[in-house]
Amino acid sequence: MKLVDKGDVLTVVDVKELGANNSDAFRDEVKAALPNGFKTVEIDLSQTNFIDSCGLGALIAIQKFATSHSGSVAVRLLYPMPPIQQLFELTRLHRIFEIVPRTHE
Amino acid sequence: MSEPRAKSSACAQFRYALPCELAEVPSARRAVRRFLTEQGLHEEELAACELALAEACNNAIQNVREGGNLHPVEIAVLCTDSKVEICVNDRTPGFEWPDQVDLPDMNSERGRGLFFIQSFMDTAQYYRGKNENSLVMRKMRCHQEHRQASAAASVGEMQARLEETQDALSDMARELCFRTESLSAIFRCSSGMGRGKNLPELAQQLLNDLLHITSADWFVLRHVRETEQHLAAFAASDGLDVSRPLSLASASIEVQAALARRDLSFGPNCPLSKTDPLGATGQRAVGVVRPILAGGDLAGTLAIGRSVSSEPFTAAQAKVIQTFADFLGIQLVNARLCEEQISTKLLAHELDIARNIQRSLLPRSLPQLRHFGVAGYCESANQVGGDFYDVLQLSDNSLLLVVADVMGKGVPAALFAAILHSLVRALPEWTQRPAEMLARLNWHMYEELSSVDMFVTAQIALINAKKSQITVASAGHCPVLVAQPNIPGVKRIAPEGMPLGILPTTQFIEEVHEIRAPCRVLLHTDGLTEAPDVTASARAQQWLERWVKESLSRERTAQQLRDELADELRKAQSAMPLKDDQTFLIVAENQLDDAGTG
Repeated sequence: MKLVDKGDVLTVVDVKELGANNSDAFRDEVKAALPNGFKTVEIDLSQTNFIDSCGLGALIAIQKFATSHSGSVAVRLLYPMPPIQQLFELTRLHRIFEIVPRTHE
Repeated sequence: MSEPRAKSSACAQFRYALPCELAEVPSARRAVRRFLTEQGLHEEELAACELALAEACNNAIQNVREGGNLHPVEIAVLCTDSKVEICVNDRTPGFEWPDQVDLPDMNSERGRGLFFIQSFMDTAQYYRGKNENSLVMRKMRCHQEHRQASAAASVGEMQARLEETQDALSDMARELCFRTESLSAIFRCSSGMGRGKNLPELAQQLLNDLLHITSADWFVLRHVRETEQHLAAFAASDGLDVSRPLSLASASIEVQAALARRDLSFGPNCPLSKTDPLGATGQRAVGVVRPILAGGDLAGTLAIGRSVSSEPFTAAQAKVIQTFADFLGIQLVNARLCEEQISTKLLAHELDIARNIQRSLLPRSLPQLRHFGVAGYCESANQVGGDFYDVLQLSDNSLLLVVADVMGKGVPAALFAAILHSLVRALPEWTQRPAEMLARLNWHMYEELSSVDMFVTAQIALINAKKSQITVASAGHCPVLVAQPNIPGVKRIAPEGMPLGILPTTQFIEEVHEIRAPCRVLLHTDGLTEAPDVTASARAQQWLERWVKESLSRERTAQQLRDELADELRKAQSAMPLKDDQTFLIVAENQLDDAGTG
């Protein structure tokens, strides 16, 4: 995983998997970078082929932190693959996340 | 982590031991995914199984019970044409699987694992066990492309599968045969036991069967008793000299296995030391020593091996050896308990006999003099000893008082007391002098007593009322106590003399003292003043003497005094249980004309 500073936007790229083994580190790293004046966080899920319930938990934690502690930082999830998109829909989390679908690539 | 192994057939299995760490979960997931991909699962099914497996593993690791993380999380995957079954064993405290798994609040960061398992798998069952729980998840296979592939399998492949199945079947048949032989050997042994055959003989027979079943050619069965510090041979195959017991401090492999309480193997890679008693089985010997435990205690060891072939035992043969050793362990302990029960019963019976003999020696009534009354008391300790007393009337004016204590307990002591009793009764025909009587008793009994390393202490007192004299001779016995108003304190009459049975001929000394009414004379055994240490014993002696002296101030018959002293002794016993017999004869002046009985 890499964090890319694009001025107002913090982009998280190169996320291969988000599981119980790495989701805590992922969450903490992104949360630590948020207070640096970003208006938007974009998490690029185009390379992500696996997310489990802990991975989803980390995304929710980032979303909660962005809206409550760092003022009004928007969180955007980019281009999830179909199985991952299916997870968001199944858990109805697509309602709280702004998801940019792959067709918009 | 154990190596994943796969078997390719219509029903394929895969096992994976996942170390109990979250960082290891991705490797497990990928390994299972690879296996299921080989089985032709569709991508959608693969993703579902992978996610469900990850959730199950996360639960097993995140909630593991203390100490449970030392064990791997066992994953078993079974794949058939129609379904995939994934079983994950966890060592968590477990939980009740809800009938319906609902989604948590949208903002909750946790609580979606079960929901995923239930959503992506067709069934999920959670079995709770004492130490381990099992989650079994099944997914039906809907995408059937793989079936066509399987139908197209070549004849060659079918042939290979058939051979594999035949191999498996013959393995199973061999194992079945093995188990049947083991069971029948154990049944034969059990039925022999029922017919009352002795254990060494049965163990020999059972272990000969074991040699046959495991293709071994020698064995040594040793046992150890709680109180012993060595392993003694119980049974061994012919031609092995194992008669010398092994000290538990020795370095032999049998002792090492016994102390470590685990199986120790030996063979070409791990040879026996040159001095090991099992070294006689040959340079190329292979084998194993198994400690035999019963209820956690070491009962012995079983060593079994091959001296001709150097092929080690197979896992199945090792299992049979373990079973036989465990079975023998139970039998050894049972036999030992049986032996103990019998010896306890025998001992109780022996004590009954001794008690009866001792009781029969005590006179039912005691002769009395006109001026002096006499009463006797004898209380046996739990372990019957050889105390006895007797009173013989020699004339109208004289009484012979005898108190003796045969060293030792049980039947032998009681028998010597009986012999002594008969001899004492015959003595007055020979002599009426206490010292001569003791010398004669010693002369009669020396040979028998010394041959069994026993001895007798005795005291003979002759009271002559006409002469107002008491004549005392003692064979290593405690002093006669005499109290009279005209003498201060208590007189201890203890003429020198060896106990009976120490020297073949012994001279005894007599002491003659005056006694006049009122007076108290006490002959007793050392059981009256027995105490745990010398100081306490001296205190008990002082107490006894004080009691004798003070009794002078009370007008009492000998019988009343006997009862009073017996009461005092019983009171003292309530603080400390009786270890030795207590016997005494007490003489007091007659207050009344009628003479009492003893």
